[in-house]
Amino acid sequence: MINKIRELFSSFMLLELVKGMALTGRYFFARKITVQFPEERTPMSPRFRGLHALRRYPNGEERCIACKLCEAVCPALAITIESEQREDNTRRTTRYDIDLTKCIFCGFCEESCPVDSIVETRIFDYHGEKRGDLLYTKPMLLAVGDKYEAQIAADRATDAKYR
Amino acid sequence: MLNIEIDGKVVEVEHGSTIIDAADQLGIAIPRFCYHKKLSVAANCRMCLVQVEKFNKPLPACATPVADGMKIFTRSKAAVEAQQSVMEFLLINHPLDCPICDQGGECDLQDIAMAYGAPASRYTEEKRVVINKNIGPLVATDMTRCIQCTRCVRFLKEVGGMMELGLINRGEHAEITAYVDKSVDSELSGNIIDLCPVGALTSKPFRYTARSWELVRRPSIAPHDGLGSQIEVHIKDGKVLRVLPREKETINECWLSDRDRFSYEGLNSPDRLKVPMIKHHGEWHETDWKTALEFAGGHLKEIVGTHGSDELGVLISPNSTMEEAHLATKFAHGLGSDNVDYRLRHTDFRHDGKRLGVIWMGCNIPDVQEMDRILVIGSNLRNEHPLLAQRIRRAVANGAELSVVNPLDDDPLIPIKHKAICSPNDMVNVLSQILKAVSGMERLSLCLPKSLSDLLEGVRVWDNSQAIALSLTGHGETMDLISPRSAVFLGNISQHHPRYTEIFSLAEAISSLCGATFGVLSAGANSVGANLVGAMPKAGGLNARTMLESPRKAYVLVNVEPELDCHNAALAKQAIEQAECVVALTAYKSEALEDATVLLPITPFTETSGTFMSMEGRVQSFTAVTKPLGEARPGWKVLRVLGNVAGLHGFEFDSSEEVKDEIFGGEKPSAVVWRTLNNNLRELIDVEIKVKLDSDLQRVGEIPQFQSDAIVRRSPPLQKTKQVTKAVLAGIHPEQLTKLGINEGEKILVKQGTGSAILEAKADIHVPHGCVRIPGAIAATASLGDLLGEIYIERIPATAPQEEVSA
Amino acid sequence: MSLSAESLAKIERELAKYPPEHRQAAVMSALRIAQTEKGWLSKDTIAEVADYLRIPAIAALEVATFYNMYELEPVGKYKITVCTNISCMLRDSEEIVDHLEKKLGIGFNETTADGRFTLKEGECMGCCGGAPLFHINNTDMHEYLTPEKVDKILEGLDK
Repeated sequence: MINKIRELFSSFMLLELVKGMALTGRYFFARKITVQFPEERTPMSPRFRGLHALRRYPNGEERCIACKLCEAVCPALAITIESEQREDNTRRTTRYDIDLTKCIFCGFCEESCPVDSIVETRIFDYHGEKRGDLLYTKPMLLAVGDKYEAQIAADRATDAKYR
Repeated sequence: MLNIEIDGKVVEVEHGSTIIDAADQLGIAIPRFCYHKKLSVAANCRMCLVQVEKFNKPLPACATPVADGMKIFTRSKAAVEAQQSVMEFLLINHPLDCPICDQGGECDLQDIAMAYGAPASRYTEEKRVVINKNIGPLVATDMTRCIQCTRCVRFLKEVGGMMELGLINRGEHAEITAYVDKSVDSELSGNIIDLCPVGALTSKPFRYTARSWELVRRPSIAPHDGLGSQIEVHIKDGKVLRVLPREKETINECWLSDRDRFSYEGLNSPDRLKVPMIKHHGEWHETDWKTALEFAGGHLKEIVGTHGSDELGVLISPNSTMEEAHLATKFAHGLGSDNVDYRLRHTDFRHDGKRLGVIWMGCNIPDVQEMDRILVIGSNLRNEHPLLAQRIRRAVANGAELSVVNPLDDDPLIPIKHKAICSPNDMVNVLSQILKAVSGMERLSLCLPKSLSDLLEGVRVWDNSQAIALSLTGHGETMDLISPRSAVFLGNISQHHPRYTEIFSLAEAISSLCGATFGVLSAGANSVGANLVGAMPKAGGLNARTMLESPRKAYVLVNVEPELDCHNAALAKQAIEQAECVVALTAYKSEALEDATVLLPITPFTETSGTFMSMEGRVQSFTAVTKPLGEARPGWKVLRVLGNVAGLHGFEFDSSEEVKDEIFGGEKPSAVVWRTLNNNLRELIDVEIKVKLDSDLQRVGEIPQFQSDAIVRRSPPLQKTKQVTKAVLAGIHPEQLTKLGINEGEKILVKQGTGSAILEAKADIHVPHGCVRIPGAIAATASLGDLLGEIYIERIPATAPQEEVSA
Repeated sequence: MSLSAESLAKIERELAKYPPEHRQAAVMSALRIAQTEKGWLSKDTIAEVADYLRIPAIAALEVATFYNMYELEPVGKYKITVCTNISCMLRDSEEIVDHLEKKLGIGFNETTADGRFTLKEGECMGCCGGAPLFHINNTDMHEYLTPEKVDKILEGLDK
């Protein structure tokens, strides 16, 4: 009986609504934690493992020497490399593909690279419209590297002392 | 036998063996770089240092002979410290370029450094740099990586027979080099790649193409000479990337000839035929298998139907598998033709029908190095059987005496005791002299048949023939062997000889008189096998020569490039040109097959299963190591379907094993081989000692090593070697040149039969008087006739236009 | 270019000391004889010696490059090799070296412009009792050197 009366009162006095609105009100005036992506972004570690890039030396020469360690270490078998002797007798890749649909972003390729050529950048919001768009080829990876070299180099420098 | 103890394990070893032998016997690993079981001991890397009880210094295991009761410790503190220090020393000057080094992943230095080295380097000073050498198109060098183990130097000196590399300078400046800027031209040079424990010597064609861990390794059999070397084919993504030897002590040991090692580059040649092709009105059209096979089968049947089955000729390459040879033969027989032959480069078939069995080398391959006396007749050993030459080299190093009867005086890099260098035609004479000399010896009282002794009546024995006979029967400078193990071998030049039968029967007579092993060193990978399956005319059919001399209306060619693979290039060209229908089963498009009617793409040895029978009668089957390229199909399958299309019976095979079973009648192959191998002739063959030739000059047409078959001819690295680029096209003895009034380097007109060619005359002291060395199996001489035959030479008048003299 | 009959006769004399099947044994003497005639060992000379001994050229080159008394570059008429090892150094070989360098105007491994002298640094010659010392053209040894004595020796050369 008592319970019924209580229910009646609370429903008439909109007690739950007030409670709810109080919560809303509290958050309305509290400091905002929502990040307005893509205008706003969360802070990132320099070790963030996002989209891959192939780097170059400052003189423009590609770093990759086709040692194929990344290909060997890749647990998802996402990397495919073919190599040859370039005209200047150096060892170079003729093909360097990363299948991003296979990649698990473990970062082993970066760890294994003896010349800091293959790196994982901070970029995570890339997309592909077709399935094949996520198969990154050597020119695409080099282009990523060229575009973000400043950031990549700064990140490596920050992290260098912990390696 | 001595009892010793290694790491607490007791082992009994032979007197005179070293610690490393004993440890290997026990399975205890001792690290080593310079030691190799097939080479002399150098003990210069010091990696195998071990501790021995009662010695206060560590001893090199490879160079320390064991003594009774010796206690050896390979993992004691002292031993480990010694090994670690040596490793540190070796790594001081070794560059850290493993990521770009082709040896990375299969490197002894990497492995041993991981197992025995210190975790980190203490060396901070500069490393030395050694300037790279260019030692030819097969072996790439990175001399900075060299650790001076000298395995390559010792290999070339001891196994290759010629010291082409050396270690110059001393201490820190020591480096491996060839003399000034010479290259390494040994036909076994590829083995130094395998021997090199680091990445200083790597394969040039393979350079930077793949990593050892990416490669799939599949066993196969080398298809270029009669040895039947066991190989391991390395594949990535369905493409053959390199070929290495498989260790087989009784065949190729751990070596491989350059021809077998680098020919794979020809497998992926742009010449490869990928789809069947039919020629319509002089133009080639690609087509599908069904059309091509029906066209080929129908055409052949039609010709057989209208002109008689005798108008069909089947030529099979001696490098085809037994299955291919068997099916091709069966196909011909099915159509009623007996014109089948695999002996494309032979020209004398007088012994057909007189042989008792399948011709083979007469002994096993390892027996060769146990011989005391060897007589080689008509062979350029290094060219024809590089690894067999190596065995003979070892036999001679162990005290055997080698004699040769040859029309070419090329250096086999083996000390020759006695030699008779004579024109091809005189070889018969020289052999009869040797026979007479042998038969004149008291102990060998075997009665010669009257016909033979009558024949020898008028023969005058020259000094060197006498010397060869004496040597062969066991006489020696310091000691006479009562019962020498001796052998008489016939090489390729003998087999290609227009008087092969006479040479054969004389050699057989010589060997049976002095109790020697008699054998024929067959040229093709499957010559013996093709002989066994009976790919030869049986009942009066035409052989490889007559088939071309009296041209047929239809030909089936299995793996044959007529102008390059046949004895008489000009004759082959004419015969193929005039034929109505030529069905060519081939892996390659080629100019030599331009006159064919249908090209059926078959696969080379890497893409088909099959069986080769080596010259010692060993039957070795192999499987395909990779998928067929394009539309190409294994030869046995194509022949099987061709049989079906032609409506023949007995062609219902589902696998090459079934074909093999049919060949051997379900028996085990060795039983069949045991029964059939026999080098004896049923009856003596008429020998004529003196045959007068019309021309003053004879051609000596050897088959250059790197031109021997279609695959080899298409291997770019082999074609870049000095053997090919510096090949002598018309080699004449300098005195003969003067006599003929020809200057060295002058272009001369060479006429043979109906054909002629313009070649550059070169002075060649290895050619006897009255002879001209003109190699076969190359395009430049494809307009000429017989490999060994009469030849005419003319100077070209300075004004003569070139068109007049082309073939 | 080729070696004189006289040198070849000398090489034959050396060859006679060894069994005929071991012609290689004479390689050091043969190279020395060739060097005496030519002044130094060019690659051609080494190859010629090797041919004469019927050994591979590289085998002769190995020997020629191993020992430093074989000259692989042209040297002056007089090659002065001064010992600078410890015994000689303690007996002031440095002074001798300085004196020679000043007098000839060349350093170690250099040849005077007139092609007469080459200065070389040598290792212990096993005659420490006579330190400091040098030898001229590998054969002519002089002991107890002082700058004055050096002058006298050099003046006395060519006579």
